[in-house]
Amino acid sequence: MTDGAARPSAPRAPGLRARNTVTRLVQYVLLQAVIAVLCILVLRLPMPEPPAATQATSFSLADRGATRALALPAFVSSRSSMKEPAIFTGHFGWSTREEGRAWSVYLPRFTNGVAVEVNGVEILDSRRDPSANRPDRATPEIAIIPASLLRDGENALVIRLFVWVPISGFLDRVYVGPDEDLRPYYEQRTLWFVTLPTVFAAWQGILAVILIVMWAMRRGEAAYGALAAAMALGAIQAFLSSAIDQPAHPELNATLLASAPLESGFVLTFGILFFGRKWPRLLGPLIFVPGVILVLIGAFGDPFALRQFFLIIGLPALVVHLVLLALIVAWSEMRRSDVPSLLLGCAVTIVLTSLVHDVIEVAGLIPDDRVFFTRLSYSAMLVAIGAGLTWRFARALNRVDGFAAHLAIQLREAEEKLKASFAREQERERAAALARERTRLMRDLHDGLGGQLVSIVALSERNTESAGIGDAARAALKDLRLVIDSMDDIGGDLILALASWRDRAAALLRPHDIALDWRAVPPGLPVYPELRPWHVIQIIRILDEAVTNAVKHARARHIGVKIETAAGADGERGCITVTDDGKGFAVDGERQRASRGLANMKNRAARCGAELELSSGDGGTAVRLQLPRRFPEGDAAAG
Amino acid sequence: MTSPNDIPAREITILLVEDDPPTLWRLQDALVKAGFDVAAAATLAEARTSLAARVPRVLLTDLQLPDGHGVELIRQTRARHPATEIMVISALGDEETVISAITVGATGYILKDAFPSDIAATVRDLVAGHSPISASIARFIVRRTQASVEPPPGPELNTAKLTPREIDILWGIAKGFSYAEIADHLGMSKQTVPGHIKSIYRKLEVHTRGEAVFEAVQQGLIKL
Repeated sequence: MTDGAARPSAPRAPGLRARNTVTRLVQYVLLQAVIAVLCILVLRLPMPEPPAATQATSFSLADRGATRALALPAFVSSRSSMKEPAIFTGHFGWSTREEGRAWSVYLPRFTNGVAVEVNGVEILDSRRDPSANRPDRATPEIAIIPASLLRDGENALVIRLFVWVPISGFLDRVYVGPDEDLRPYYEQRTLWFVTLPTVFAAWQGILAVILIVMWAMRRGEAAYGALAAAMALGAIQAFLSSAIDQPAHPELNATLLASAPLESGFVLTFGILFFGRKWPRLLGPLIFVPGVILVLIGAFGDPFALRQFFLIIGLPALVVHLVLLALIVAWSEMRRSDVPSLLLGCAVTIVLTSLVHDVIEVAGLIPDDRVFFTRLSYSAMLVAIGAGLTWRFARALNRVDGFAAHLAIQLREAEEKLKASFAREQERERAAALARERTRLMRDLHDGLGGQLVSIVALSERNTESAGIGDAARAALKDLRLVIDSMDDIGGDLILALASWRDRAAALLRPHDIALDWRAVPPGLPVYPELRPWHVIQIIRILDEAVTNAVKHARARHIGVKIETAAGADGERGCITVTDDGKGFAVDGERQRASRGLANMKNRAARCGAELELSSGDGGTAVRLQLPRRFPEGDAAAG
Repeated sequence: MTSPNDIPAREITILLVEDDPPTLWRLQDALVKAGFDVAAAATLAEARTSLAARVPRVLLTDLQLPDGHGVELIRQTRARHPATEIMVISALGDEETVISAITVGATGYILKDAFPSDIAATVRDLVAGHSPISASIARFIVRRTQASVEPPPGPELNTAKLTPREIDILWGIAKGFSYAEIADHLGMSKQTVPGHIKSIYRKLEVHTRGEAVFEAVQQGLIKL
């Protein structure tokens, strides 16, 4: 599915092209800037909060021996032990009027874990919820206070906040009130920060399966392999979360923590390969170095060191990967401006903006509500990748269709050409065979029959009594020449055959002192590609008959032959006219011999599809042979 | 060029080589009656003897002879006696015979069954520098001037030396136009056309000796 160099590009002037590129670059950067600004605006939108009346306001914090009063939200410094939680102690009022309505404690956001006690009884411990333990997910918690615990008036609320390095502890505002008032807000946060990430993780898993299948079928396309690895890692780390305190497999936990830089490395690899850049053999493996270091530390070092290193190596690696990916995608968009480049470009901008936002927030540079959006925004990238891949797939299918159609057309054309060339070849073969046969026949006749006929002519001339034999031999010779001549390939140009006939006829007429007036009216005759030797023989014999009649029966002094293309009833037709100045005869057949000759001529003409007209009178005879538009392939003498 | 009427017929010596007695008799009779000085030979050997005794003005020879091929006689005569005009005697006037003879130096042909008056006229024309040509011979030569994938069967022919004007003349003849019509069409004098034919024949002659072409011609004929 890789395209690239194959994409046809119209040649343009270099200057114009450079200016175009600059324009496109500016447009692209502006678009990304707009997306980044929109992204920040969305990120800074305050989440809807329950009514202020339900907020538990004044708390006292007991942390490492010190106690102070404060208002939530509050931060506590990170610590290395899970055993020293920061204890927030507060109160909320409840009256018996509320009996019959369930009351809840709602904690929109906290890091990393909370345990909630009401009137000395624990009603919630978030450490038992693996997804709530993940600092990258803003999992809210809500717990219904058992009615038996509630007392009229002041009720004690104690929240123990468990914190682990490297992130400092955070406890957002706490709301206590009727469950029906609080739950919608809880549900909304759950949708955003728990359900949606799960949905996207599932989507990632599906993508992983699709990509693995695609890569398995097309091993050459390493880009899909890299993307499949990234998707698989993402899906696994989203679904496999272990409890913080007692991980069943600490190494697995560490690997999961380290998976983000590995995953981003794979995505970057995909970007490099997918957008047609050459894989950098030396620098390429460096992409995976941070992830591998983190995995090694996780597998062999202690969890707290791992968390420290994640901040030092992991986060910068994520940023670097994303920036590189953004550059590659931008380059690709500049070069070919296709849909996948643009989609992925915008998605990378969204993720980068979110990541920078989150880092700045963690660093305390902007007001912090401890809601991290990087993971959530990563889903934008997943959507972009899915859409981009589908787009490419559809386009590849279109191309295959187009290619198939093109191929079919080409195949048809080639077939037609082949047929035509086969027909031409056959025609040439036929002509060559005819020419060879003619040559062979000519040699045979020349040395055999031809010489013998000449001898007969010569012998008969010695003896005047045998003049009849001489004439017969002469006629046989003439016929022999006609047969040989008609076999010559004249390419449908009948006038070439007529010219040879003229030579022979003139030689025969000369001793009788009869002039042959030959007139070919330009442009002569049409070319008949379908003309065959037997057509030529029939036509020449008709002309011979006409000339013989003129000599023997009409005693003509002049014979005229006119060759022309004349306008007939149905368009232009070739026409040969033989005229003589003899005494003529009645067309209705006064003499049997003449009428037989005439019938013979008509018969020959009919076999060629030609029309013969004969007119005779005192001024002479005219035989007009109108040639067909197209000579028949078979013998047209049906009767 | 001398006009045919300039030289009296009796001063035109002819060597006639033909192995078929009736045909020889017929041709000799026609030529003698026209007043030519005719010597006759029935074999290649007789022809050579006659040539040694007297060099004729005109050599008329058949190609198939009992003791050899007429082509050899034509080639020898052409080489040793360039002033002698040579014509081939052909039963059919086919291009096989005529072109073979032309490539070794003949400048015309006579049909064996031609009428006596035609035979005498053709010889007189030849002596005057006018070579006869038929439409089919012209057609054959023209066809060889056209580029073709495979050469058509028949004798070899190198038409490279022919000028476009000469090819035009050949086309005119092949299409049955008279010399007058051709001359009119090409803007030349009617009298020059027969001279052009002789020039064309001369250009088709293969001069190199020991030539592959000659071998090919011979082979083509011997293959009979």
